[in-house]
Amino acid sequence: MALTRLNPAMLAATLVVGGLAAALPLMGASRYQLVLVYYFAYYLALGQAWNLMSGMTGYVSFAHGALAGIGAYATVMAMNAGVPMWLSIPIGAAVAGVSSLVIGATSLRLRGIAFTFATLFFQALALLIVRKLPAAGGAGGLPLQDILPVWLPQLFMILLAVLSTILVMVVRASRTGTRLLAIKGDEAAALSLGIASARLKLLFFCISAVLAGLAGAFHGLFTASLYPDVVFSFDMSITALAVPLIGGVATAFGPAAGAILFVGVGELLDIFAPGLHNVVIGALLVAVVLFMPLGLVPFTVGRMRDRRKDARSPAASGEYAR
Amino acid sequence: MSISLTLVLQLIVNGLVVGGLLGLVALGLALIFGVIRVVNFAHGEFITLGAYLTWLIAGGLGLSPFIGIPVAFLFGALVGWVVQVLFIGRVMERPPLDSLMMTYSLSILGLGLFSFFFGGDFRSYSAGPNGDLRLAGVTVGLRSLSVLIVCVALGALVIMLLRSGRLGLAFRALAQNRDAAASCGINIRATERLAFSLAVGLAAVAGALISLIGTTTPGVGDDWLLEGFVVVVIGGMGSIPGALAGALLIGLLQSILGYALDDSWAKIITYLLLYLTLLTRPQGLLGSAMEM
Repeated sequence: MALTRLNPAMLAATLVVGGLAAALPLMGASRYQLVLVYYFAYYLALGQAWNLMSGMTGYVSFAHGALAGIGAYATVMAMNAGVPMWLSIPIGAAVAGVSSLVIGATSLRLRGIAFTFATLFFQALALLIVRKLPAAGGAGGLPLQDILPVWLPQLFMILLAVLSTILVMVVRASRTGTRLLAIKGDEAAALSLGIASARLKLLFFCISAVLAGLAGAFHGLFTASLYPDVVFSFDMSITALAVPLIGGVATAFGPAAGAILFVGVGELLDIFAPGLHNVVIGALLVAVVLFMPLGLVPFTVGRMRDRRKDARSPAASGEYAR
Repeated sequence: MSISLTLVLQLIVNGLVVGGLLGLVALGLALIFGVIRVVNFAHGEFITLGAYLTWLIAGGLGLSPFIGIPVAFLFGALVGWVVQVLFIGRVMERPPLDSLMMTYSLSILGLGLFSFFFGGDFRSYSAGPNGDLRLAGVTVGLRSLSVLIVCVALGALVIMLLRSGRLGLAFRALAQNRDAAASCGINIRATERLAFSLAVGLAAVAGALISLIGTTTPGVGDDWLLEGFVVVVIGGMGSIPGALAGALLIGLLQSILGYALDDSWAKIITYLLLYLTLLTRPQGLLGSAMEM
């Protein structure tokens, strides 16, 4: 049995919000508003990709930025070689998926920190190797030769954000989702119940990498130029984990709140304190881990429930631990 | 490329310097992992802290950079104590994910602070020893030589502390069995704080020494930390002899590969060694229990 049921109202709300976001250009939104919505969708897609693996299983990945970067590079290189876009994008996603198997095969049989180390070094290796590859433009970067209308990658990214959010919702409401959470809770116990944890972890890391690869591919089309030091900087991997972690790990809507916060904080800092970005994100993360380890959304929901209970009987107010 | 004896000696000396620095970093990582059961992703920030402190002392005040070494140790130990009390100690009873995210978040915060206060410039200074020592055709910079001497002396001191003495005994007891250690009357909290404090002090000293032979940037510590992680994984997480052997191995490897290929390839091959270790011998070359 699954721990939560799929809530049709939430599903409908996600579709409506996604539809509205996709229709914004037709409703005369400004370019600035469109870019904000685009980045919201980008952070959300990347955050949900991380959430699906690391949020659900507790195996923390520091490589989602690099997986997105690999998707971006593979897509742009394919398009520059004359492959049509509709084929280049799946190629990018597939290359990211295959790369994830390299990390997974070496480290997901093991429990504990090995996977996190493997992802950390994958990120560092991706940068070093792409800088060495003349075919990928080396250290100088790689421009996309085709010129695409801006709305196209924007539309793709919104679709991906909606799709990945629904995917997290569906997985959470499935027996598979319960198995993933069991791995997170106590892997030895999960194994003893017959949950094939190594296979499940590998499968979900691969799906998660394909999602990250797609996000990277669309972002590559959006920026139309790839610089290895930007594409493979640790900042994107930090974003991928900070968005769900701040908003609410292993929930469908936490990452949406995290992504809104991320876009908002980024914009405010650009105006008031450029250069303080990592300080603010780091401090936010420290505060979340210390004071609301479930994330903003579950913390707030828990508080509201507490208050309702308090109104009925003061003694019933429980502590909302994990 | 002719391989002469002097070249081999030269590469070995260079490798020992890198290995010594990695040894200080890995010693701290192994100590933290062994005693506190936390992987310290913020360790690189403490290296950077020591490097900037020494740069301020030598480049800003014009004093000898050797003053930076004890200052870095004491300040690092103080910062380590505070970080353990305020942040890491408060999430240790929670699932391991929380302590991992805590050290990682602290590392983002630290990196952000260094970038904000010092900018991205490459910092170096001219105070301190300059010039070379030539011996049997091998050229050793006086700075590199002092780094090597400090690493060996400090490393020996720490290992002596761990092998004998009540504090070392308490560290080992905690590494073996926390509950048993507590029931024997060991103050768990204080021991953990001391272990973290000592490890951070060592990282800050490594940073002070790195500033002497290289340039200091906000990300300098993270580069060394990655190699430090390779060292502790190869040596076996939490094993002190493993960490020292691994540091020597990686230092020599870096020196030889850096000469034969270039620094990027040396890094790529070093990082690939981590995957090889995870695949073939995940417990590391020298087991996984904390031995000293």
